Formats: sequence, structure tokens, C-alpha cells
Amino acid sequence: MADGAPLPHGWLLDITESPDGRSVVLWVKDRTDGRVRRAAVDFRPPFLVAGPGDELRALLRRLRDVPAVASAELGVGRPSLFDRRPRPVVRVVPRLNPGRRALAREIDASGGYATFTLYDVDLGPPQLYHLARGLYPFAPVAGSGPAWVATEPAETIVYRTPPLRVAPLELRLEGARRGRLPPPEGRIAAVRLGDVTLDGPEEALLRALVDELARTDPDVLLTEGGDAFDLPWLYRRAGACGLSPGAFALGRVPTAFSPTRPARSFTSYGRVLHRDATYPVPGRFHIDRSNSFLYEDTELAGLIDAARLSRLSLQTVARQSPGTCFTAMEMAQALAEGAHVPWKKNRPEGFRTGASLVASDRGGAILLPPVGVHDHVEEFDFASLYPHIMVRQNLSTETLDCPCCPRSPYRAPGLGYRSCTRRVGLLPRTLEPLLARRLAYKEALRVPGLAPEEARRLRQRVKMLKWILVTAFGYQGYRNARFGRIECHEAINAYARELLASLVAEAERAGYRTVHGIVDSLWLRPADPGDPPDPERFARRASARLRLPLGYEGRYRWIVFLPAVTHGLGVPNRYYGLYAHGEFKLRGIGGRRHDTPTLLRRFELEVLELLRGARDADGVRALLPRALARADRFAGRLADGAWPVDELLIAHRIGQAPETFVTFTDSVAAIRQLSAAGAPRGAGEMVRFVVLDRASRSWRERVRAAELLEGDERYDVDAYLELLAREAELLLAPLGVRREELLRRWHVAVAPERGRYRSAEVADQTALPRAAPGAVT
Amino acid sequence: MGRTAPTYRQALEERLKRWDAFAHLLTTPEDRAAFELVRTGARRYAAQATYVGSPDLLEAILLSVLTDLAGRLRAAEPERPPRR
Repeated sequence: MADGAPLPHGWLLDITESPDGRSVVLWVKDRTDGRVRRAAVDFRPPFLVAGPGDELRALLRRLRDVPAVASAELGVGRPSLFDRRPRPVVRVVPRLNPGRRALAREIDASGGYATFTLYDVDLGPPQLYHLARGLYPFAPVAGSGPAWVATEPAETIVYRTPPLRVAPLELRLEGARRGRLPPPEGRIAAVRLGDVTLDGPEEALLRALVDELARTDPDVLLTEGGDAFDLPWLYRRAGACGLSPGAFALGRVPTAFSPTRPARSFTSYGRVLHRDATYPVPGRFHIDRSNSFLYEDTELAGLIDAARLSRLSLQTVARQSPGTCFTAMEMAQALAEGAHVPWKKNRPEGFRTGASLVASDRGGAILLPPVGVHDHVEEFDFASLYPHIMVRQNLSTETLDCPCCPRSPYRAPGLGYRSCTRRVGLLPRTLEPLLARRLAYKEALRVPGLAPEEARRLRQRVKMLKWILVTAFGYQGYRNARFGRIECHEAINAYARELLASLVAEAERAGYRTVHGIVDSLWLRPADPGDPPDPERFARRASARLRLPLGYEGRYRWIVFLPAVTHGLGVPNRYYGLYAHGEFKLRGIGGRRHDTPTLLRRFELEVLELLRGARDADGVRALLPRALARADRFAGRLADGAWPVDELLIAHRIGQAPETFVTFTDSVAAIRQLSAAGAPRGAGEMVRFVVLDRASRSWRERVRAAELLEGDERYDVDAYLELLAREAELLLAPLGVRREELLRRWHVAVAPERGRYRSAEVADQTALPRAAPGAVT
Repeated sequence: MGRTAPTYRQALEERLKRWDAFAHLLTTPEDRAAFELVRTGARRYAAQATYVGSPDLLEAILLSVLTDLAGRLRAAEPERPPRR
């Protein structure tokens, strides 16, 4: 805070919508007494309609008689980023805020979905209030409510956050263990809130919880699965006990017992995913750790930074992807500069030839690593390569192939897309401060004598920014990204490929040989390990030459590049290595994957701990017999049948609607068990199970779903030995370990390898009986 | 993912699968081993082939296989030791 600025009265924690549909509520935490007070203020933001002048005038006449409209007036503006000159727009204020979208849809339909372009329709009133008044979440504010004024801008890098009271919230049901299937009418036996555990008869317990909330008045309710279980269950039981939403409020004001957003399945990067319902609590923040991607990595300090910059509520930020946060930051930037946010992106990809598609639809450069154990390997990474490219080459939806710069020197290599030389695009304008912010935090971290708490906060913010910066690139290619454009995505990749290729050449001149490279990272080995180049010096020189920050990540004592099971050549993103400073880097092996049973993680951990003692590649090779002995010990204990079943749980994400499965698999058996127990699972959700008899055709006997485990199940020993052998091969294949040999050693029958090739004739013959209708089988 | 065109690596695997039929009627272990070399060579330079971005898949595969074979040839020449 600058000297002489008014001392803040407190902090604006959040802005929420009022149930009356005409106002928003500002929640401010007092600096002196720490209490949170609310102030409602009338606020019905307009949305904009652009189109031909005569059509807009006709629209204005029509809207006069529409009851859902509070006001509509004709003016001028430059709503689109592409607008160079003002044009006529109609500002429509809906009578009630929740009626925004319905009204917008009606207007869009009245223009045949083609005449009008609408702006700012789906921005929330709280988000728009922040932007209209120069406010943001966690802003220090002065003055008096509701006319609060922020005492410093959102972009401030060194700021104080309000002391937040965080209370973990967790339920326990009568006769049920957490993680097992709750009985359908399970009564709540106990509730933990902060340090206090409440129990007793259910209704009294629920009332005591409300009292406890009033007494301790926490700002954050932190749950592990609260959106999927704790909050809906609390509401359900409160309803069953006859408590009304008015009498049972978890927030600082009552709210309905229903989610603000129902659970849903969706697709992302080719995977079907599941998102739990959303249960925010007004006036406080409900953060569900298991329904928050960002919280895991960035915790409160990171989330608060993201909320400030995106003007989204902390409860929203916690549940959103980094991409959504970045889009909100772009929106904030656009609105602050007088542009508006298009409701529907009306920018279809242009037509092009197949050849140009093949040339442009490519990712970054990914080399093939040499399978095996290597030493003397050094790693170099470009820091935030893609954001830097976007900023440096001025890549943005409105600056690409602009009409004003036909001779622009900025051209995407091999593709020829030009970028504007006259105006800086929205994307670089949004990104540049974020890059500077990340750098500032990283520099602050280097200051000696930093308090551990402060260092932790800074690291969390750095991580948050890293995620935001990473997704900024991906969102350029996303069809729904409001300011995205596929050509930007392609241009960024083209520049990046070119850069990596230049870096390879640069490295060779400096006395290195390239071992491996992925998009923005390069693994190098000195041409003469006896006389290696100075890595820091190389990084500095390459940074200066390529005008991008190349960082030296460190030297590996040894690194193992792993082969593909199918063809034996290297897999770009599957390796593990030990840095000279003693840290491991692991990619694509068990511990990094979410579906790996604890058994295999343990094995992997033991092998890695063993290999930690190796000083170089020969050291790793020398440890092979001891690694195999570990595998044998694991196999022996497994074969005894005494391994705890909790450590044998295999997780699977359900990739399709459960009723559409045609093959009987372990997952299908688990899904059917859960559904028979009254807990059906949807597409994108996870099922976890222990394999009991992999040959069984019965869904009751083949596996046991995690939620139904009793603890005394007899697992399928061979199935788990098979998994163990696979894991051992995955880690140690470059040292000659083969799955089949291990299985023979452990006396497990090896499944015969299926023929690789089936001729067209053979395939046809096996297909015949199935194709013939009514055939006897 | 939101890709329209398959990646070079996907297109290559698709083509190699088609070539399985060719290997199916190779009658000696030597021939089959030789064919494996071709397959490996095609995969070894996938990064470089992607970098070219040519719409001609076969051109990219041939470049990869030829480079691989030329490398093996150089390595086999006794008087000129390989650089790598």
C-alpha cells in the first residue's frame, strides 16, 4: 500500500446475487473487529445488442411492451475487439437479473440468430459490479457501505490478505465408515467443525451446528467431498428433521437446500469427466478439496490471487478450471478497456485445403528419447515459453492477419500468419502483467530471510499463475473460448517448433549433443563428458540469442528413458531420473498416474529409494539384482494372500454411460455392484475395486467395489502378480527385465501373446456368425 | 481432442498396421527381421517428419526409413567410424 493512502476499513470478501433479483450483496470483513457485514445495493447491469441501425430501432419498439425489460435505449459503442469505429448498440436492462439469459435468447431469436450480436449476457452481476466499480475480491476497501472504494488496484503485487478463519467440516453417519456406501436414510451421528466435534440426537446436533457456526463464525468451510456428500447430506437430514432453510443455514444468510449447479458429465481432451454438484454457502466460502483442481496445488493464497485478478468469487474460482479463470481475466481486461464480451463466439474456422490443415494442425516438437540409462545429462527449460511467444509475436484473435499490416514482419514460420504491428492484442495485454507478476513473486522468493509462511504463500501464487499461463495457450484452440482463435493456437506451436530446432543447433555449437526434447525442454549431454560446457553460461547465452528466458534445471546423476510396450522405441513422456541435487523427476510412471493401486506405488517407491544410492548409470545397472529381490519379496507377500485389500484398489474412470457397455470388464462388474447397492455411477465418475477372480463371469464375484469392501476379501493373487510384473517391467525394462520371465519365476501361467496380424480373410470369417441375424451360437 | 487432422504419429501407425499384411506373407525369419528394421526406421524419425508437415505421408515415411538405413550403412562401413 502506498504511503498516505486511506487506511482500509476492511476487505471486500465477496459479492453475491440477492434473491430479489434486483441487487447484489457486498460482504466486507472489518479490519478492527474481524466481523463480516453485508450491504445490499441495487444493481441491474445491462447487456448490449449490436446490429444494423434500422433493425435495432425496430427492436427498440418491440421491447417497449416486453414486461421482462426494465429499460432499453439506443446508443453507440465499440463492443467488439475488432471494432475500429463506433456503431449503434442497444443497452437492455432486464427487469430481474436472473431473467438475463431468457431475455437475451428471445432477442437473439427475434433476429433469426443472425441479425444481432449480443454482448455481456452471461457475465454474472457480481462480476460486472466489480468491474463497474473498480472492485475485486479481497480488495482492501475504505469509505462506507455500500459505496466502498478499493484502496489499491487488483494488480498490486505485494498486498495483505484478510486473516481468514478456516474450519474443516466433516460428517459421520451412524453405522457407516467414511468411504463406504452410506445407508440411504443414514442419520448423522457426528459433525466435526474446526476443533469441535458435535454429537447427540440428530435434530439437536444440527441445531448445535448452526449455533457453533454462529459462535465461531468461520469464513471458510473446508471439506473433502463436501459437494458430493457432506453438504447435500446435511441438507437432506435437516429437511428430514423438519428444519427449514431459514433455521438451518451454513452460510451467513439462509439459502435453499438445493445445489446452485447440478452434477454433470462432460468431455475434456478426449476423456469423459464428472463434476459434482455445487453447494456454495453465501457470505462464507465452501471449498471442497476434492472438487477443486486449483486448491490442491495453489491452496488459499493461490486461489485468492486468482479471484482478485479474475473478479470471480473465491467459491467460483475454487471450482473452476484455470482456463475459465484466464478467460475471466481476459474479460476483465476487455471490459476495462471499453470493449465487451461476445455472448456467442461468431467466428467459425475459415475454409482451407487439406494440405494447409496438415501443415497447420500440429503441436510442439517432440523428439524420441534413446531408451536406456544415461548419465551426464543436463536439462534446460524455457520458462513460460508459450505465453512469451504470444506476447512477443503479438498473437491475439484480433491481431492475426489484420487488414492494417499486410507487410508485417511477424509471420508464423511455415504458416505465414501475420500479426499486427500497430496495436497490441488483448491476449498479450492480459498475459504480460501475469508474466511480470510471476517473475516478481519468484524474485521475492529469492530474498534472504523470508518468513516461511510468506514463502509458502508466494510459492502457491507462483503455481497458480503457472496453471493460468499454461491454459492461456490451450484455450486459443477451444471452440467456446470467447477470445480464442484456432489460428493463434497454430501460430504459437509453429513459433515453438522453430525455437526448439534453433535451440538444438545452438546447443551443438556450445559443445552439447541432444538427448531428448519436448516442446519447451531439452535434455543435453556434453559431446565430451570429460570437458563439459558451463551449463549456466550456455543458458544465459541461448536466452540472449533467442530472446527468451532459458532456464537451467539441473544435472542428472542418471536418467532412465522408458520404451513403449508395443514397439520398444522410446516414449517421449515416460522417464525417471535423479538430479544431482537429490530430487527425483518422474514422468508417466505409476506414482504419477491416478489409477495405480497403492501396492504398485509402494513397489515403485522402494525401487526408486534403492536407486537413489546410484551415482551414475553404471551404479543403476549394478543395483538391478537388488531391485529384482525387492520384486520377489513383494510377490511372495502377495502370494501369501495377506496383502491388505485397501492397497489393492484399482481405480477406473467410467468412459461412457454405464448402460452402454457391451463387454464385461472389471469396471462393469463394479458398476453393477454399486448400482445394485443403490449408488449408481455416471459417465466420468471413478469406480474403485479389488479384483477377486478375474476369470469369473459373475459381476458379484469378479471384483468388489471399494465402497462395499468388508476387509476380509480373498483377492486374485495371479491378477496382482501380473500387475506387479507389468510395473517391474515398466520401470526396469531398459535393464532387461521382462514381464514373462518374472511371471515364470513366480509360477504364474503367462497368457499367450495374441497374434499381431489378422488377415482380411480371417477377420471376415470370425465376423460372419455375428453378422448373420438369428444365427445359432 | 479438438484436432481435425490426425497427428503424423497416428497416421504412421495407421499405415504400419496396413503393412502388417505385407509382413504376414514374408516366409523367412531374415525377411521378417528386415521388415522390422523398416518399421523401426519409420518410427525413429517421427519428430523430424512431423516438423516437415508434408501432406504426403509416404514421403515422410520414406525419408525416415532411408535416413535410418543410411545411418546403419555408415555405421557398418569399417574405415569411417560413425559420428554418433
